Amino acid sequence: MLTISQPDAAEARCNTTFEALMWAMARPGQVRDMGEPGLAPVVEALIDRECVVHTDSARLAQFIANTGATPGTIEMADHLFHETLDIEALASVRCGTALYPDDGATVVLQAAHGTGTRLRLTGPGIDGVCDITLAIPPAFWSLRAALCAYPEGFDLLLVDARAVIGIPRSTHVEVL
Amino acid sequence: MSLASLTKPWAATSYGFLDASAKRELRRKMLKAIAVPGCQMPYASREVPMARGWGTGGLQVTLTLVNPASTIKVIDQGADDGVNAASIRRFISRVSGAGETWDTLEASIIQSRHRVPEETMREDQILVLQVPNPEPLRGVEPNMSIARQMHADADYGRLWLTLYEQLVRKGRIMQGAAYPSLVNGRHVMTPSPIPRWDVPKLNMAKHLTFLSAGREKRLHAVPPYTKVEPLVFSDRPYRVEDHQDLVCRRSGIAGYFMNEIPQDDGSSSFEVSDSNLGIKAIRRAEGETVDIGQTWYRGGEFSA
Repeated sequence: MLTISQPDAAEARCNTTFEALMWAMARPGQVRDMGEPGLAPVVEALIDRECVVHTDSARLAQFIANTGATPGTIEMADHLFHETLDIEALASVRCGTALYPDDGATVVLQAAHGTGTRLRLTGPGIDGVCDITLAIPPAFWSLRAALCAYPEGFDLLLVDARAVIGIPRSTHVEVL
Repeated sequence: MSLASLTKPWAATSYGFLDASAKRELRRKMLKAIAVPGCQMPYASREVPMARGWGTGGLQVTLTLVNPASTIKVIDQGADDGVNAASIRRFISRVSGAGETWDTLEASIIQSRHRVPEETMREDQILVLQVPNPEPLRGVEPNMSIARQMHADADYGRLWLTLYEQLVRKGRIMQGAAYPSLVNGRHVMTPSPIPRWDVPKLNMAKHLTFLSAGREKRLHAVPPYTKVEPLVFSDRPYRVEDHQDLVCRRSGIAGYFMNEIPQDDGSSSFEVSDSNLGIKAIRRAEGETVDIGQTWYRGGEFSA
């Protein structure tokens, strides 16, 4: 009789985190629970030697280096992990091309949910409209609108402790 | 980074068969596939203990998603008891400890070859379709580099021409399965060889759909509440198969997609293609209490 191997702790963590990230991307604006706080669980679920990663956090940089990922500048990185929002720096983020939309970066940002700018989201994954409030200034959303010429663009994962909200490039964001 | 920090403790097998790096790659590509609905994302497509072309793409997506709390349903042309479907379902369950089911309502992940179940899927369910050919342009442009450029330019004129030629030559659309469909108003995808009957089920659906081609090493996705519009001319409306009046010879239910069973006298009889829906209808007719969910088609008409 074959015995079923049980998921080890890391596998269980990554599976839970990814399920939260996947549904966050599939249902933009809805809050999902990753099970663990911070950006580290996202690194663990997605990042390995095949990635070029940029981060603004020295603490996270060591954690990312342990995955074997290549550190890179914002222009080079396919995954960005930022604890603070630097709008000017993000202007050079990779957005892919119409030929290769998958070259657009995944930007994982620490941002408080429920305070700050009110936003109205429409697009795939949203049944009608979805109103959310995020501690991200309106200037960022105009930058995103300028960069995301669909299907080019970057995809956002906004992490607040254990909660995550996804805003893929297909979502239209209106600042209220 | 050192070799020691990259090394994990020894284990006899990886959980869910795929190793951790294969899963991470699939996760990254699945997120991108959701972010650009209908756009084909390349991935490495690892070896699984099954021949390419038998559902390896769908299997890899399912193995990435699965955990011990999942409940798996696998169908092959609507049937849960086909050799391919039963083998895949047992394999997934053996390597993950996930539950097995035939019931669409109980499943958390439904892996399917060429059908979408008749019972309406919920917001928490995932449909994984096995795709033999993910490229809708292959028939009109065999060079995949040029096909990629055509997707980048949203240049789908030759697909429209194919449909026009079918109308001119035969008087109706001859495309039976894998009907090319525009997703989110931008990318044309092939919805895998599901019949025309099933394409409207993907439009503004509640569930999340992944379409994965293992042999072709590409996957694409249709997120919930996303527009999926079959390519049709404004004066020739989209038509599904004329199955609304057919009655299943075993369960007696009507108004669903049917399998045609040729008879010795040259006539045909019909059986409902979604076999578990038929089984549930038979059990209900025999007096059992069976939960049959709301269906996409009611009285043979699509009504979502």
